[in-house]
Amino acid sequence: MSQSLMSKSLISKKLPKLTAILNSKAPYSNSAGKDALDIALIFGSFEQPTSLFFQGDGVWQLIQGQNGTIISVKDYLKTFAAFEFYDIENIYICQESLIQRGLTADFHIEQVQVLARRVFAEKLATHHTVLRF
Amino acid sequence: MKKIAVLITTPPYSNLSVTALDYVESALKSSVEVVGVFFYQDGVIHANQQAQTASDEFQCIKHWQALQQRFKLPLYLCITAAEKRGLSDEQPNNIHPIFTVSGLGELVELVNKADRLVQF
Repeated sequence: MSQSLMSKSLISKKLPKLTAILNSKAPYSNSAGKDALDIALIFGSFEQPTSLFFQGDGVWQLIQGQNGTIISVKDYLKTFAAFEFYDIENIYICQESLIQRGLTADFHIEQVQVLARRVFAEKLATHHTVLRF
Repeated sequence: MKKIAVLITTPPYSNLSVTALDYVESALKSSVEVVGVFFYQDGVIHANQQAQTASDEFQCIKHWQALQQRFKLPLYLCITAAEKRGLSDEQPNNIHPIFTVSGLGELVELVNKADRLVQF
């Protein structure tokens, strides 16, 4: 029993730790989205396997056709286009959160995967660390 | 022995910071290794030496200082978030000396060192 537990923990140490960044806030009323983006880019540049999750009001960060500069907010959403250069390829959005807000899957970046709430939760649970903003 | 890392995003005048302190203190007293506490977003306000808390209120920074000294607990400050809030390591009496000035790369390190990260 204890031996199998030990070998299990050895294996888990060898696997790279998956980090999830969970975005739950709309883009312009506070700096949560930008603060999360900064973390995503640093984890990406340190070659850490990192996934992005968008849920609740966080889904607004992916919606096409926004321009923060009209209200004098730096348009940090533009930087999302750079994710592929940081090897951030797993980007998930909660389908129910979109439906609740009457939004369609019309995003300003590609490679966004729309997941039903349950699948979204299961995917999140496969990550070692979750950072929530 | 389990290792944890802690991320503080709330200011010293938030009750969540008190919860964080209680959590870290309990962990340390239960011989859990705390590999480091990283201060981000409004959490960096903890490091402002000029910030004053009314004497009848909970003195967050005094408690962090006690933990840092007693358990050699590393307290890391995100300098980008700190500079945005008027803190600077180039000014005297500005950033509290119990903090190690660092950047988000340190958070990457902590995530890798720890079995678990807890965010407040």
